[in-house]
Amino acid sequence: MIRIEHLRKTYGTLVAVDDLSLEVEPGTVFGFLGRNGAGKTTTIRMMTGLLEPTAGTVTLGGHDIRRAPEAAKALTGYLPDHPFLYDKLTGFELLRFVGSLYGLGAADGTRRAAQLLEQFGLGRVAGELTETLSHGMRQRLALAAALVHRPRVLILDEPMVGLDPEGALELRLLLRQLAADGVTIFLSTHSLAVAEELSHRIGIIDRGRLVALGTLEALRARARRDGGADGASLEAVFLDILNAPDGDVPT
Amino acid sequence: MVIALVQPRLLALRNVVRRGPFRAATVGLLVAAFWTATFALFTYVLDYFHHLGDFGPFLTQRLLTLLFLTFFGVLLVSNTVTALTSYYLAEEVVPLLAAPVSHRRLHHARFVETLTASSWMVLLVGLPALLAYGVVYRAGALFYAAAVGVLGTFLVIPAALGVLVTTGLVLLFPARRTREALLIGVGLTMAALVLGVRLLRPEQLAHPAGLVGFAGFLAGFGATGSPWLPTTWAVEVLIPLLGARPGEPLFYLAMLVSTAAMLFLASAAVVERVFLTAWSRAQSGRVRGDARERPLTGWLARLVRPLPRVPGSLLAKDVTVFLRDASQWSQLLLVFALVGIYLYNFSALPLDDGTPLAQAMRDLATILNLGLGAFVTTAVAVRFVFPMVSLEGRAWWILRTAPVPLAGLWWSKFWIGYLPLVVFAELLVATTNTLLGVPAPVTLLFLLTLVPLMAAVVSLGLAFGAAYPRFDTQNAAQIATGFGAILYMLACLGLIALVVALEAWPVARLLRQARSGAVVASDLAEAVAAGGGAAALAFAVARRRALRALARLEA
Repeated sequence: MIRIEHLRKTYGTLVAVDDLSLEVEPGTVFGFLGRNGAGKTTTIRMMTGLLEPTAGTVTLGGHDIRRAPEAAKALTGYLPDHPFLYDKLTGFELLRFVGSLYGLGAADGTRRAAQLLEQFGLGRVAGELTETLSHGMRQRLALAAALVHRPRVLILDEPMVGLDPEGALELRLLLRQLAADGVTIFLSTHSLAVAEELSHRIGIIDRGRLVALGTLEALRARARRDGGADGASLEAVFLDILNAPDGDVPT
Repeated sequence: MVIALVQPRLLALRNVVRRGPFRAATVGLLVAAFWTATFALFTYVLDYFHHLGDFGPFLTQRLLTLLFLTFFGVLLVSNTVTALTSYYLAEEVVPLLAAPVSHRRLHHARFVETLTASSWMVLLVGLPALLAYGVVYRAGALFYAAAVGVLGTFLVIPAALGVLVTTGLVLLFPARRTREALLIGVGLTMAALVLGVRLLRPEQLAHPAGLVGFAGFLAGFGATGSPWLPTTWAVEVLIPLLGARPGEPLFYLAMLVSTAAMLFLASAAVVERVFLTAWSRAQSGRVRGDARERPLTGWLARLVRPLPRVPGSLLAKDVTVFLRDASQWSQLLLVFALVGIYLYNFSALPLDDGTPLAQAMRDLATILNLGLGAFVTTAVAVRFVFPMVSLEGRAWWILRTAPVPLAGLWWSKFWIGYLPLVVFAELLVATTNTLLGVPAPVTLLFLLTLVPLMAAVVSLGLAFGAAYPRFDTQNAAQIATGFGAILYMLACLGLIALVVALEAWPVARLLRQARSGAVVASDLAEAVAAGGGAAALAFAVARRRALRALARLEA
């Protein structure tokens, strides 16, 4: 469902993403981990068509994001790390507007907006301008906007930031449900516990290069080979891999 | 400590200059040109007053009083608006509040920022004006030192008053409502100021008879000023130091300094005491309950129903945001003032005395009217079209990740800007041509030329708006005063001049034909093709550049 091949992004002499290749199967959650500045957000911005890659391809649902951007975007939902919204629109108006961009008719858009607002606990503030909403509420609204057109691919950049414990739990349950319904989820997060709980496969990026890729078990096995403990948590595996000398990427 | 708090701004400015030397040099050149022009104008007027004998010093003082009174009014409004943002709405306040920084120091840092942001325009006019006073009256070094001191102290007074007024307003009303009310106030003040300056008929200053009229106006302008006003104290410091007449400059300087110090300390004391309460109130918005749809949304949805889906949605969204954002629609007040002045100018042209000179003047005004009408419309486009991309702001990701082609987004923005502007330009030129008594074929030529010309102006607006976006502010007025806006204005000016030059000769020929009653249709078509062709080319080039800039745009 998601295929990234030899993706590269440079800014002058700085290499932000270097020869990144990976695949994500339909209906699975892919955890994308890395230190700050490792290249996670740059990768995601190239995947969503917000940034032009220097080289390489991104294919979403069989559509190349550069050659057929509209087709690729039509089946993708995206939540950025800082989801800025239109301050002067209400939550309801925002969802309806986003729905219309994705081809939802007026009646369908209205129904879907109302349903998502209730689902995300925003019904009470549906008529408020988004500038008056709290950070957590905006995060939930942006997530609702990402889901308004029932996407088959969901790309999430730090979705847990700003959510209260209840909201974070609801989101984890929702992501699990969406994956069970066949939605492919690309999840970039600093929360290793969330990645460990939800991800079918995990990729770790460091200084723009993919340094580890596989299931949690495969990564644990690799960490053991490098001298890590048996049954280590993802946190320990993550630190082991990032602190290990450069090696081959297991797939 | 206060210096440490304002340091981020200074470092940011240094970085902007270092990373964009071309931009800094261009702005520097423009400022130098403005300073020189202001200095020249004031020198010309003051030199005339200086040679009026005993009446001269009186007029000199009146002009200085008028200048300081205008500064004071502008500064009071500007500081009140800026203080609201820098004290109660700026995101930078959050880390300062969390840091071990006392509210008094926070006040001092924000005060410096408010004063600087509000006063630069006054310095732009004030410094060359005072320099002109010094040069004309051959003042000594003491005058220049006092002028800098007076201006510096004078600026503190409206800044402190602005902070006090804003703090009071925030305690009484929600901050966003206060901001909207203040923005409307600014719009009205600016419109009144522009109309006021026009009604003074500044063009009369160009000849001695006009200067006599202006001197008459100044002579009749109020008293020398209330002794309670800081504007009077500032004048009373400077005039004696010019040697225009005796006075007590030290006493008035002491008045100015002590008042500025007292007001600064008062604003610090008030802010220190109530800042947290005011800040907390500023963070809360008005709760409207769970009504999902506001009346405006329903109306707009019905209005855009006949349009294709994406352009319709974008139009409804843009109109909603426009009407809810006072910083955008309050600009209309200025536009109305501008149009009023433009129409007044044409109605006041002395072209009806039937002499050959009047006829030649009328022909010249006719030829220039296409350019002037297009330029006035460009001034409107700078306010409304250029900021379009910036106003998408950091929510640009919503549009960019949607399955809408970039070209589609561009066309939507284009039509939203183009349709009202082309109607505006056509009405403006048709009305002024009627006032000038221009023959119908020439008016038709202008109206046909405006169709591609306005398309090019809007296309250029989107191109420059995408190439020089400002995502750091949501204030449309601020976006329209940036570096990119200046370049956009210059590009439009160049294009309009080219189109007018291309059509000048054909228009002159058409005017002659119209007078003899035999207009050649092919001449009309050739003229439209020449001007319209240039505009169409500019439209296409700008569109391509805009699409490239939009593709690179990172919010």
